[in-house]
Amino acid sequence: MQRRPFLLGCGCLAFAAAAGVHADEYDYQVPPRFSRPDPSSDEGGLWAFMDREEQRLKRSSFVIRDPALHDYVNRIACRLAGDHCPEMRVYLVRTPYFNASMAPNGMMQVWSGLLVRMQNEGQLAAVLGHEIGHYLQRHSVERLRDIKSRSSFAQIVGIALGVAGGGNLGALAQVGILAGGLAYGRDQEREADRIGIALMARNGYAPAEAGRVWGQLLEEYEGAKAAGEDVSTTNILFASHPPAEERREVLAAAAKRDWPGAERTGADEYRAALASHRMGFLYDEVRRRRFGESLVLFDRLLKASPRDGQVQYFKGEAYRLRGREGDTKLALEAYRAALEMDNTPPEVHRSLGTVLRQTGEDAEATRAFQRFLELKPDAEDAELIRSYLTGSQS
Amino acid sequence: MRLTPWLAAAALCTLAGCAQMVKVESGQVTIKDTLSVTTASAWNRFDLPQLNLSVAPGAAEIWTQDGVTLDALAFFVGVSQGETLGKAMPGSTKKLPQFRSAMTPGEIVELYEQMVTQDGSAFALKRVAPGRFGEQPGFRFEHTITRKSDSVLLKGVGQGAVVKGKLYLVVFTAPSIYYYERHLPQVEPLMASARIRAL
Amino acid sequence: MIAVMRRALLSVLLLWVGTGVALAQSNLAPGFTKLPPNSTIALMPVDIELFEISAGGVIEPRADWTAAASKNIMADLRVRKAKFGARATEITGEQDEAVEALNNLHGAVSRAIVVHHFGQLKLPTKGGKLDWTLGPDAAKLREKSGADYALFTWIRDSYASAERKAMMVVGALLGVGMGGGVQQAYASLVDLRTGQIVWFNRMVRGTGDLREAEPAVETLNALLTGFPL
Repeated sequence: MQRRPFLLGCGCLAFAAAAGVHADEYDYQVPPRFSRPDPSSDEGGLWAFMDREEQRLKRSSFVIRDPALHDYVNRIACRLAGDHCPEMRVYLVRTPYFNASMAPNGMMQVWSGLLVRMQNEGQLAAVLGHEIGHYLQRHSVERLRDIKSRSSFAQIVGIALGVAGGGNLGALAQVGILAGGLAYGRDQEREADRIGIALMARNGYAPAEAGRVWGQLLEEYEGAKAAGEDVSTTNILFASHPPAEERREVLAAAAKRDWPGAERTGADEYRAALASHRMGFLYDEVRRRRFGESLVLFDRLLKASPRDGQVQYFKGEAYRLRGREGDTKLALEAYRAALEMDNTPPEVHRSLGTVLRQTGEDAEATRAFQRFLELKPDAEDAELIRSYLTGSQS
Repeated sequence: MRLTPWLAAAALCTLAGCAQMVKVESGQVTIKDTLSVTTASAWNRFDLPQLNLSVAPGAAEIWTQDGVTLDALAFFVGVSQGETLGKAMPGSTKKLPQFRSAMTPGEIVELYEQMVTQDGSAFALKRVAPGRFGEQPGFRFEHTITRKSDSVLLKGVGQGAVVKGKLYLVVFTAPSIYYYERHLPQVEPLMASARIRAL
Repeated sequence: MIAVMRRALLSVLLLWVGTGVALAQSNLAPGFTKLPPNSTIALMPVDIELFEISAGGVIEPRADWTAAASKNIMADLRVRKAKFGARATEITGEQDEAVEALNNLHGAVSRAIVVHHFGQLKLPTKGGKLDWTLGPDAAKLREKSGADYALFTWIRDSYASAERKAMMVVGALLGVGMGGGVQQAYASLVDLRTGQIVWFNRMVRGTGDLREAEPAVETLNALLTGFPL
């Protein structure tokens, strides 16, 4: 029972032809408002289950409750969803993985690992539009029915099934709550991509940003591989989605179509909205210990903002925490570069001191620690650092 | 689906049989033939290799008064250069960093943070300062952990030292509501009594 | 793999969590025998989920079943409430952070009781006593509800669909074991003046049906066996 977003019998075909545009799969017609499904139906079951998951999510300590950031993301999601806006609730979750999801009951989650990777508002809009696409096309229920019909056969032939969706959801289990329900099939992902780009372009965002989201992720993946890191569990989304290259290419091609008035990227607005949270997100990112990926991300952020001392500091942290042969030197270079930039956190001096101790440059280490204490006398480790200076402790 | 806590509990039994808790009598107790502490009260010990408590996976021993989901006193004894502090949790994709004998206490706390956040729990350092580990100079840190599985906020205190290149660490965590304050008066003197035998 | 999980689950849980016929552990805290007359009980919202296991082992939430079960349980609790002769209130609506934190702590305490009191990992220092508490912060719940005691109930249950049952027969022929459904629950009575868990019961079994009123009553009967009235 596929619902196809074709233009049929609404006269739109004629209008589009007159405008010189071919009616095609990107001329998405948003369905009318949803009403709550019958609780005895499978859709009703999913819906109500997600309601209860939402109750749990609401109580979670991991939800970001800052009204300013919430409203910012919510406004964008609302514009994209149009008439369906009242059906949605947006939750920002502090977890350093790249993910956004939308459950069939209208609960939308955006994880901080995704927020920190978006370069501008347009990219965020592409992702939110994609999730809204899943929601508007009710892919979750489709998927549930599909799995149910196929899985009996699989059982008989003794194929072990994973959790519904067949993907590796081990990492998702870390969230502790179902992230939007079931994993989607590849055709559904492709459809959601098409809808997402249509929605973003209609709301004035430059559609070229959509493909860039995947290009950026791919670069991180390549960076990790090049650094010799284990990439098998890199991004859970790579498992269940069409390959990132395909998505990047298809979306890049779609961006070349005629989208009148779709030019906005909103880089400044996005940076401003994220500003007060970003240091925490970068801290979480580096603690993931996927340094190859993190370094690609940090370099990209620096390319857009070459004097961003905050990002430069975390670049140094990535080297320090990775601690491979030669990393100490790279960390020192990175921290020293940060000192010349703007918006550099005082912690850079502490990290400098820590690394200089490793290289035996004790006098300079002492100066760095002193500088840190001057800037942050109430740091949680102030007593400890003072003891380094007096030499009374190792 | 909320079966997970039950399954985690269930994992403690193999079909061959179930493990038991062992009473730790008050008095002097030695862990791994190397670290001795003196306790005024009795505790309950579990040192099951298949048990992965998210606050201390791979600890040499874990003691508790009220149970695994509540308070935990974890001992890490003689972690050597190149070893990790604690061990990987099942399902974690993170590769834990290795201990280096020359690490600062701040870096050791980072190791601890990495160990306890494998399951997605959130860690916040409240204070780290020089201190004593028994008779040895060492460090002390206080922190909170927001446990991912059930959102319970835990408070924690740890004391440690690096002696002859090896790391010794005793960390106590318990829910911030009631349990931490309740057991702290027993935990502090216990930590202060730590003696390393390998000297 | 849900099928594998379920196959192991019931047998291991029974071993682990303890069945009713194993060593009888007390459901009562030391010194507590019954609710004082005229005490008020706050009924916490029932934490319940019902699932269907489809033919392929897909576990699917069933809203209609859960709603029905919720209704059945609450209705039965109200009937009992009337029989209690005690005043009872229900806690509804959004909770504030402090109450949520207590709720979460209660979950952790309940799991400790299930595992360490009724289950295999008994704590020698407890001496077999049901001795756990939420601490004096429970007074916040007392303020909010005006009650002396609070009753928490937690229920998870899953049922095999008709096709699933047919699959289980086929599976048995092929030598594949498949779990059919497990009912697990606990009920906990907390003295809100001290935070002490004064009565606790837990249940794991492969039978029971919460979707219909009468069998739901049977489940609650089993769960509330020995409720200290």
